[in-house]
Amino acid sequence: MKHKNLRWQIICGLLLLLIVGCSISIDSIVQPASVNGGDNLPVTLNVTIVTNQGQTSNFMVAVLVPKVWKARQNATVTFTSDISSGSQPMTVIPVGTAAPQGGGADWPTLLLNKIGNGGNLIADYEWVAFYSNSSYTIGGNVTVHATVSINIKTSPDNLSFKLGYCVANSTDGLSSPDRFGSYFPGCFRVNGTGDLIDFCNPQLSSIDPRTSLENDIVTVTFDGGVTSTPLDNASQVYMCMTGVLTTGDSVSVCSQTDITKMSSLGLNKWQKDFWPRKLFNLADNQHLSSLRYYFTDAAGNNKVGYGGGAAPFTYTFKCQ
Amino acid sequence: MKKLIFLLAAVCALGLFACKPERLVTPSEPVKDLSGSWAIIKASRNGTDITTRFDFSHFRINFSDSSYTIDSLVPFIVNRNGKWSFDDPQYPFNINFRAADSAQKSSPLLFPVTNGKRNVIITFSPGCDLNSYQYTLQKAN
Repeated sequence: MKHKNLRWQIICGLLLLLIVGCSISIDSIVQPASVNGGDNLPVTLNVTIVTNQGQTSNFMVAVLVPKVWKARQNATVTFTSDISSGSQPMTVIPVGTAAPQGGGADWPTLLLNKIGNGGNLIADYEWVAFYSNSSYTIGGNVTVHATVSINIKTSPDNLSFKLGYCVANSTDGLSSPDRFGSYFPGCFRVNGTGDLIDFCNPQLSSIDPRTSLENDIVTVTFDGGVTSTPLDNASQVYMCMTGVLTTGDSVSVCSQTDITKMSSLGLNKWQKDFWPRKLFNLADNQHLSSLRYYFTDAAGNNKVGYGGGAAPFTYTFKCQ
Repeated sequence: MKKLIFLLAAVCALGLFACKPERLVTPSEPVKDLSGSWAIIKASRNGTDITTRFDFSHFRINFSDSSYTIDSLVPFIVNRNGKWSFDDPQYPFNINFRAADSAQKSSPLLFPVTNGKRNVIITFSPGCDLNSYQYTLQKAN
């Protein structure tokens, strides 16, 4: 008897899910292939919402962007639709605000878990979600078209990034694939200043976090699978680091010891987490401006630098 | 008849003496005791678990009444020994650190009990503000 009731409860629950709610999709997107660093990035999303039954919800739009853009402060999102008059403002949803039907997770976490990172290879991205300032009541069996206008002021950084977009509502959240629409238009380029930060293509070496200071824990990765290097057959790989101080002086740590030994991640990929302040034994009044580094084998004979060549990889310590 | 009256009187007396005023005790929040030596049992950077990737094993923070000392420093909210306090001793939501000759720094504080052991979870940025670290501390044996 108990099982019978449970079965009916599950069937009714599923029917309710099928009946109530609405499906949302992004039909098309207008986005430039590139902008200059510091310019505004205008994006238009054409969205269709189809309801099965009446619902009153806030509209949600989210963008996947590089953290360095600080899109929470530097992005505006508005939309027009068949059921509203004029441009409708949207407001960024604070981090920590639980998403509907998200098991307690907030929107950025839920978007990352359900929709992903769009294939960006450097973990320095974030989903930023916006709610419409007003809620809207839509009747059953109605089709609504909306045009979303997103405007993001980019940073001056020189980067390529796979932008992502998602639309949903404040009732259904991301509860099932038909309840939201997502779109990843491919690799987008900002022609800015400094070394290219390439989120789109595998890098021989990368540093995480992308922005840090000498008091952060820094992760250096060497991916020997990207191209053939003299370290293809190395059983152990070591970092050879030079820290450039803000005074212009430099300090080096280049011996092959446990301090510089990297951990194997398999497939000729190596990683090391270190605290620059400790690695270079800096005094309180010493600060790093950049790193120059190579990777070596255990003997120190084979040395791999930028692009697999003799020039060092470089990393600049900064927070923006 | 006499017996019935006696019986009624006995029942009434029992009823009267059975009642006594209920003493309502206001539940008190347990004191958050930080005294002792704490180790890092879990660490994350920007949401990624780095507990096993970086050597946190020797780090200790030793709390006494209002002072703390640090052994084997790792990137932390403060770099030197100093004073500490809660924002509200009874219902603390933040813990404040004031290292010697430095400005006060505050961290949101969580105080959960996991597997029967009290944990302290603090969140801070030792380098860039964009980089958020969360350490879970547990009393060292």
